[in-house]
Amino acid sequence: MNRPIAANLEIRTTKDGDRIACRACGHPLAPAGDAWKRHAVLRELSMNGAGGKAYTGAQEALLRQFACPGCGVLLDSEMALPGEPFLDDIVRA
Amino acid sequence: MDPITFSIIRHRLFRVIDEAVITLKHVSGSAITNEGHDLMVSLYRADGSLLMGGVGFLHHLTSAAEACKAIIRRFKGQINEGDVYLLNDPYTAALHTSDIYLVAPIHHEGKLVAWSACFVHVYDIGAMNPGGFSPESQDIFTEGISSPGLKLVDRGELRQDVLDTLLNMVRSPEMVTLDIRSMIACNNVAKDRMLALIRKYGYATVDEACAVLIEQSEKLLRSRLAELPDGQWQSRQYMDVKGETAKVCLTMTKKGDRLIFDFSGSSPQSKYALNCTKWASLGGLFAPLFPLLCYDITWNEGVIRPITMIAPEGSIVNCTRPAPVSVATVGAIQSVNNAACATIGKMLAASEKYRTEATAVWHANHFAIFMFGTNQRGGLSIGILTETFAGAGGARTFADGVDVGGEIPNPISRMANVETMESTFPLRYLFRRRLPDSGGPGQFRGGLGMEIALTPHDAPDGGLHYVVSGKGAKYSMSEGLGGGYPGAPNRYVWVHNNEVADQRNIDPSFALSLEEMPGRTEDISWGVFPLMGKDALYVAWNGGGGFGDPLERDPEQVRIDVDGRFVTREAARKVYGVVTDAKGIVDLAATKALRQEMRFARMERRAAE
Repeated sequence: MNRPIAANLEIRTTKDGDRIACRACGHPLAPAGDAWKRHAVLRELSMNGAGGKAYTGAQEALLRQFACPGCGVLLDSEMALPGEPFLDDIVRA
Repeated sequence: MDPITFSIIRHRLFRVIDEAVITLKHVSGSAITNEGHDLMVSLYRADGSLLMGGVGFLHHLTSAAEACKAIIRRFKGQINEGDVYLLNDPYTAALHTSDIYLVAPIHHEGKLVAWSACFVHVYDIGAMNPGGFSPESQDIFTEGISSPGLKLVDRGELRQDVLDTLLNMVRSPEMVTLDIRSMIACNNVAKDRMLALIRKYGYATVDEACAVLIEQSEKLLRSRLAELPDGQWQSRQYMDVKGETAKVCLTMTKKGDRLIFDFSGSSPQSKYALNCTKWASLGGLFAPLFPLLCYDITWNEGVIRPITMIAPEGSIVNCTRPAPVSVATVGAIQSVNNAACATIGKMLAASEKYRTEATAVWHANHFAIFMFGTNQRGGLSIGILTETFAGAGGARTFADGVDVGGEIPNPISRMANVETMESTFPLRYLFRRRLPDSGGPGQFRGGLGMEIALTPHDAPDGGLHYVVSGKGAKYSMSEGLGGGYPGAPNRYVWVHNNEVADQRNIDPSFALSLEEMPGRTEDISWGVFPLMGKDALYVAWNGGGGFGDPLERDPEQVRIDVDGRFVTREAARKVYGVVTDAKGIVDLAATKALRQEMRFARMERRAAE
């Protein structure tokens, strides 16, 4: 049985063991219990104007978007300055 | 113990606090207390441990417990029936000097049986800058009166010499004395009602109920934690002050029935007053924990036991004396609070059972502007723009955040109406309304923040001044959840309209937006500034974080957002991928095609490294 671990992520049992997968398309990303963001597709936007007219401020601040390589659905977002490590969220299997 | 008696006593304890809060509001004369509800009342056990946390700013619940314990240590053998103690030193227990704790022992038949404690943000504390938030301070010594504990009322008698000494060091002593007397009255009511409860049920029964209540809370929270998945979740907050960026980093680890909040990696303490002390950080992380994990559990010592905090000494979340901390409550404490809200939200979202309790970050950036100057009646007015309490709700996993919905750490916060502010200060509001696009986009949108513009009006001195402690003008602070965007950042603009070089000198009174205002604009964020002549002050503040992928949002809901001016037409297309025709009707086929194109564009980017 699939177990949700975030808005668009779940743990699926596959022939290779339990995997973190996209809830929308089932695309496997990483072994359960691992940091998964390195296996997603990253897009970095300037925060300036990212969400619309009210988003003023630092040009250097980035909106990192982590998307599913299988279907393009957004799996997570985080704001970061360049060079900052990813925010790693790890749910133990 | 008898469950009916236990239940009645538990509810009576809630009512003791409710009545004490009402007293506090009725006696205090300042808008920050009785309009903004920047206050707290709670009850504590004889040893100072939290018995019953009340509403108001929740980050004070644990700090006031430490204040009670500090008084117990300092005044050992001298604590008498009818005493009231004052404490506001941040390096002892308080959050910043202007949030004064008044704690009072409750005796029954000569025995110390409990404490009541309360705070208000007093009208002034004698810091460099009026109102308490003192961005120009370089150390704690310039942040006003700071007491690690003094006896203000001795066996029921006010120590007038002590009060007069305090009042001699603050601006507007007549308002500060009202604040202090409101807290004395509040503690008196709490004591009277507690003693009535003890008289009715007997001390032994009430004491047993209190002990059971704490055990019950601990058991319930541990059970809840055990139901949630083990794991670790991270959050990061940036704060900008005068070109420098400080950060608060949090890794929250949940294992079994315990939670550990580790702030390692946070910036070293700053020369600016946004630092906070250890007790303040502890309060900051509990402020979202109480309502998000303990919404049906009594907030007391039992809730504190399963929680561990790691805050490196000398960091911005555990600064060392004499670092300045006057802006802490809207600085590092609020970022601790935001980070804890974000990680708890992510943990809840990882649970099938508790997914609907998860939330993106709410109002993450108080702007806390204090106005001061001669008012239209010739007196001195100092006070906060209470709109700072009018935050925005973070999106949930099933619904949008509440527009101008308040904030998590203070469930009863609110703003005064425009007329109240205009009668308090020589000001005129040009507009006050929701700010389009300020809510973090997502499948469910963050609630909207607001925008206001002010000009002087009927000011004997031609205007007044204001203190702004505006970290967060560069960075969004209301984190999104599950792919949702963070809410928009704050913005503070000084509109210069009476300079000699500007020959237009047009009255801005009828401007309907920042763009329509005549004069030169200057973005500001930290310090003391004038609002004189025909100048204007424009402030825009953050919306809540969004939840989920904006491309998953119902296109019809986006249309409603555009029609209602919650979202601009540009953002509807660019962020939500919704195409509308000239009449504003959604073109479903074009929307579907655009969204597919946007998803493909995401997939073409490089893999994260």
